Amino acid sequence: MPDADWPAYWNPKHETLPREALGRLQARKLHRLVQGAYDRSPFHRRRFDAAGLRPDDIRSLDDLRRIPLMTREEWMQNQAERPLFGDLVTRSRDDAIRYHLTSGTSGRQPLRVLDSRADWSWIGEMWCYGFWGFGVRPRDIVFFAFSYGSFIGFWGAHYASEKIGCLVLPSGNMTTDARVRQIVEMEATTVCATPTYALRMAQAAQALGIDLARDSKVDKLIVSGEPAGSIPATKRLIEEMWGAKCGDTAGMTEIGTIMIFECDHQPGGTHIIEDNFIEEVLDPETGEPVPYGKEGERVVTSFGRDFIPLIRYRTRDLVKKVPHDTCSCGRTGDIYAGGILGRVDDMKCIRGTNVYPRAVESIVREHPEIEEFQIVLTREDGVRDEISVHVELAADRQDAWQGMAKHLGRALADAHEGLRFNLELAPPGSLPRFELKAKRLQDRRAEGAR
Amino acid sequence: MTIHDQQSRPPEHDLHGVEMTPDERELLDLFRRLRRLAERRDLAPCVSANVKQAMVMVWNACNDLALVDAPPGHD
Repeated sequence: MPDADWPAYWNPKHETLPREALGRLQARKLHRLVQGAYDRSPFHRRRFDAAGLRPDDIRSLDDLRRIPLMTREEWMQNQAERPLFGDLVTRSRDDAIRYHLTSGTSGRQPLRVLDSRADWSWIGEMWCYGFWGFGVRPRDIVFFAFSYGSFIGFWGAHYASEKIGCLVLPSGNMTTDARVRQIVEMEATTVCATPTYALRMAQAAQALGIDLARDSKVDKLIVSGEPAGSIPATKRLIEEMWGAKCGDTAGMTEIGTIMIFECDHQPGGTHIIEDNFIEEVLDPETGEPVPYGKEGERVVTSFGRDFIPLIRYRTRDLVKKVPHDTCSCGRTGDIYAGGILGRVDDMKCIRGTNVYPRAVESIVREHPEIEEFQIVLTREDGVRDEISVHVELAADRQDAWQGMAKHLGRALADAHEGLRFNLELAPPGSLPRFELKAKRLQDRRAEGAR
Repeated sequence: MTIHDQQSRPPEHDLHGVEMTPDERELLDLFRRLRRLAERRDLAPCVSANVKQAMVMVWNACNDLALVDAPPGHD
């Protein structure tokens, strides 16, 4: 079927639903979610009981605010107390078909997630909203610059592309040069990558004498994993280097999929998939809702993941919600202007991997010979983020460096989905010392981007 | 009443309270039939596994159209 004959929306019934009806649908799904979580998740039952709430108390969207906010720290503590998966999950491990993890907020412990067959079907479905919305159709040839590992990343997007009927090119552990060549040779029309890696591939292509804008068939880049996909300057650079339009998406391991996507009208933001999520924007200090146009913290309630009911989960993402009619596409899902704007906490995103400075510190501190350290973030070649740990050893333990560096590098990578940490030995006494609040992280990426 | 009890009633309306179209009724009926097969434990592995795959895919269509309001179970 010619592309023009397909409907513009993946789900015309809900993507154009009047907001009043959308609210009623969310309220109904919320009640069902809460009842199911109370019945099947001891974690949620305890939280509801502690708040003096029963599922029948939650009947409307106004009731949503009676439910206590849930944090990642609570979830991780629950998994630590009840290894491996805690009792937030509603089903036994026997019912799961997949295990993924993401780096933790502290120490080596990752956040572990399980999903069922239905969950994975739904995860792919959410990506279908986004892919279809950005113009992906069955004739497309979709290339995934993705490692297909324990990080959930583009797994769901891969399944979405297959579901839509695209030809999928999974590049796994190919080198960057090999990826560029395959994109050209196989006439890929759509490329999925982090924004940073999209630029990296474009640079590699230039070095190979390939002009992607001229030599490739790529007309769509769908990016995820970093806020840069909605930063106008970065997006413009990607679009120029590839000669293609670039669409942003954002998701998180905690919900398994994406909750926002940029449509092909490119309104400078991302639509919320509101028939499957309730997205609140709250003042991170007071917990009070903020109005349209004001920055606040994303708080998500997810309806589709059976194994892991998330209700009022604090994401620590900074967003600014604007009305749906800011975009001319006709979708009634509201928009996060500029996508994910940043973080409320100190988490850093390095090449798509979440890094919490306190998690790095707890691993570094396992080595008593380390006297002081600094985490330094840089941007190489204007696009590639690097994380380095500068380590200062005790004066009488300089001989420990060789063995320790290898072990420390591996431990840091293992705790961060294989992310490479560059380790540098600093001369004794060269790193700053702190008496009060320590500042052991230097983010120099803005300097490198200039 | 359990989630599945509610889903197994023959609704004439979707979750919006709108009467289902013939296509929607057929889709929901298909989902229920697949789910009944997915519950069975006496089927050959090749049948059981593929029925479950089909069931969760059809459930997605039902979920997208507000014909069901809960995960399917038996997957």
